[in-house]
Amino acid sequence: MNPAPGGDEALAVAFAAHERWAFSEAYRQNASVLYSAAYNVLGNADDAKDCVAEAIARLWRAPRPYSPGRGSLRNFLIVCVRNEAISRRRHHARRTRMELRLAGMASAHEPFEPGDPIERDRVRSAMLALPPEQRTAIALAFYGGKTHSEISAELREPLGTIKSRIKLGLRKLAAALELPKTEEGAR
Amino acid sequence: MTHEQIADIAELYALGMLDESERAAVDEHLLGCSTCAQRLAKAEGDVALIASMEPQRTAPRELQARVDRALQNRRQPWMPAMAIAAAVAIAFLPSLYLWSRTDALHRAMLAQTDAAQRLAGAPHRMARFRTMPGMPPAELAYAPDGSWYLVLVHDASKRLSVAWMHDGTKTMLGDVVPSGHLASLYLPKSHPMDRIALMDGDRIVAEVTLSWGKTSRDRQADRSA
Repeated sequence: MNPAPGGDEALAVAFAAHERWAFSEAYRQNASVLYSAAYNVLGNADDAKDCVAEAIARLWRAPRPYSPGRGSLRNFLIVCVRNEAISRRRHHARRTRMELRLAGMASAHEPFEPGDPIERDRVRSAMLALPPEQRTAIALAFYGGKTHSEISAELREPLGTIKSRIKLGLRKLAAALELPKTEEGAR
Repeated sequence: MTHEQIADIAELYALGMLDESERAAVDEHLLGCSTCAQRLAKAEGDVALIASMEPQRTAPRELQARVDRALQNRRQPWMPAMAIAAAVAIAFLPSLYLWSRTDALHRAMLAQTDAAQRLAGAPHRMARFRTMPGMPPAELAYAPDGSWYLVLVHDASKRLSVAWMHDGTKTMLGDVVPSGHLASLYLPKSHPMDRIALMDGDRIVAEVTLSWGKTSRDRQADRSA
């Protein structure tokens, strides 16, 4: 192992250069937030562990997974793990739908297993402050793991309208949740 | 993908809402566009902030070992392959180009020499192609038994293909490439063919039909022998 001499920035540069130690260290520094991101989408420990390990391995295999110009390595990793988790959940949902269909029990709505993050007070407050149509679109996107086309079909709204609602809703939500740097860094 | 399109879907990308092909298109664009990378970084920052405020759990200790194993097992296989390919390209391509040129010239010279010897020393027949208006005159020298052919085109200005027309189909035999006043294609190991055409792309521009019965000259040659 070669710990980064210059902190986050050096770690990001080494990660971009495909240094093995940097991948390992990046995971170590963000282990809990990455595991939680996967768990909150997938809803169980085994799937979350598989998801995190595969997300990191996938980046390791990719020719150019990240560049420092892309922004914070931590944010990048969280998004990658979430995306891996969402893909797995969609795959699982497709399989479940097919099994239900085969059993003659097709359901229009998929169960949403993960713990509801809206329980968290600050997130709940921020979500409730959104206009209802943006709140619905964000909830389906962020917690439901649905594609924009699926949301558009489910809400019977044009794709462009859904995109706008998600874009505006996400910005407002992030702005409401923005933390002082010191507090964020302590997480 | 354009900058405007990326800006339009940056949040969807960060939220994992795009399908595989859309995501790949964005990734490809990001490789060469720092402006869009920054735009996306903002959206990813928003998503990461919300994700980090969800209920947090302590990662199982064994997960670190599992990640490290994955990093040991899967060293980027593309790196050596790409490096070797690049080195080969840089070091050998000029030589390869010259070698292929020289080899092609060498083979062409041998073929020309062989064809010239055939014309000078072996019995052969000559036939003239019927050509479309505006096409250069063309001739065919060929062995009486059809074992070799030499297509000759005078003052050819473009590459023409030679085709054997048979049974409603055509078999491409090679190209006559413009070279000086006389372009040629030598077909050294062949068989009797009734109809040979010159083609400009898909269009037949010249054609010759061959007869394989003995001519009076052949019969005279047989008697002399």
